[in-house]
Amino acid sequence: MSVDLSSRSFRPYTGEKARITRAYDYLILVLALFLFIGSFHLHFALTVGDWDFWVDWKDRQWWPLITPLMGITFPAAVQAVMWEKFRLPLGATLCIACLSIGTWIARIFAYHYWNYFPINMVLPSTMLPSALVLDAILMLSNSLTVTAIFGGSLFALLFYPANWPIFGMFHVPIEYGNGQMTVADLLGFEYIRTGMPEYLRIIERGTLRTYGQYATPLSAFCSALLCTLMYTLWWYIGKWFATVRYLTKI
Amino acid sequence: MATTTEHLIEQGESDSKLPWYLKDLYRYLKGFALLTIVYMGLRLYQGAFAVSTGLDSTTPAFEQYWMRLFYIELWVIAAFASGMWGYLWFTRDRNLDNLAPKEEIRRYFTLTMWISIYTFAVYWAGSYFAEQDNSWHQVAIRDTPFTANHIIEFYFNFPLYVILGGCAWLYARTRLPLYAKGISLPLTLAVVGPFMILVSVGFNEWGHTFWFREEFFAAPIHWGFVIGVWFALGVGGILLQGVTRLIELLDQLEDNI
Repeated sequence: MSVDLSSRSFRPYTGEKARITRAYDYLILVLALFLFIGSFHLHFALTVGDWDFWVDWKDRQWWPLITPLMGITFPAAVQAVMWEKFRLPLGATLCIACLSIGTWIARIFAYHYWNYFPINMVLPSTMLPSALVLDAILMLSNSLTVTAIFGGSLFALLFYPANWPIFGMFHVPIEYGNGQMTVADLLGFEYIRTGMPEYLRIIERGTLRTYGQYATPLSAFCSALLCTLMYTLWWYIGKWFATVRYLTKI
Repeated sequence: MATTTEHLIEQGESDSKLPWYLKDLYRYLKGFALLTIVYMGLRLYQGAFAVSTGLDSTTPAFEQYWMRLFYIELWVIAAFASGMWGYLWFTRDRNLDNLAPKEEIRRYFTLTMWISIYTFAVYWAGSYFAEQDNSWHQVAIRDTPFTANHIIEFYFNFPLYVILGGCAWLYARTRLPLYAKGISLPLTLAVVGPFMILVSVGFNEWGHTFWFREEFFAAPIHWGFVIGVWFALGVGGILLQGVTRLIELLDQLEDNI
């Protein structure tokens, strides 16, 4: 039922038609802002959530693996529409910026002001540098394959260095009660939560710690590999959802 | 937001200062304002009474402050759903074959406003109050499925965005020719998928009967919500359908300065 626009030549609208299309753009911007804060944030909170909520969950093994892996999903899906259909190289940055807005509002008003968690304990991580690079690579390469391999990898690899200036200070070792722990651990033990039992807190499991300083890069490269696959999968999921079909019955 | 072709003939030209395609802008902004007041009011209510009366579901104070709110919410939701859906259906346009291009463009703007109001409700349900649910259940043992945050999140916010999504779907179906002739798959996905999040509350609460002391947000019992919200990506398809049709309609307008 929709018109075929592939063979059509366009010239810029002028006058009232330009004003109409500009007004429509603004409406879509407001719509997209709340859509991606609401939907991407829910997806993120229920898959990465705990690693992002609490400073004592931000470990070297799972946090750098899970966060980019789940964080590249919506950006890939939105890029598939924004870039392919509108030539707008901002799908990933839009999604991640919306996610940051949603998480910051929730951490301040839902965690800090309602239940009195220190804001340092519930700081959200950032993926903005990763998203900017992902968008830039798609724009420069105009290629799903190149973006999946190089963009997806960099999306994961940039995550830990981008967050180190924010969270590094909480990884300082301290001696407390005749035991060694980090400042992050101490914050966790001081604020009793239903998510703090060690059978729930999935950090530093197994023997990865025996790799010493290589634990984080190993997690990051593992995430980079998985992100290339996840990116491609979600690119096609985004395309599938952006169908323009009309059905005769449901 | 429900002008029909018959009404248009009676109304003639409007003396509004807004351009014709933004006729419903003030109603749209009022919708935002009303929802903001409702959601912030509920959050302030939680701030005032959750710790003092919402920790133990067996106390009379819980019954008074929280279960009473729950029953009020059910009535409000039922009245709002029947009122809005009934209004949109009974004022439907029965003369869509004679719709002028200008009026159809205006209705695409109004549909976008409806979807925008829907996504605003999705923001409060999917972002703010959803994360707040984790915050609350970190400090309060859940001894009932009707906790101080669930009463607002699951039994008010979720049904409210479902109703608003249904309003967008009904508006398109009853006032826009393409949506009346066929059922838009992306619009249906974007409304029905997030509706399944409401259904997932049952799975979630069943899971928590095994696991009521702990709160692990990334646990598989929460993934029903996650799959439901992926369907919000259907908005990309709605945008493509809308833009394609708007290009056709703009071609039918005269070039005006």
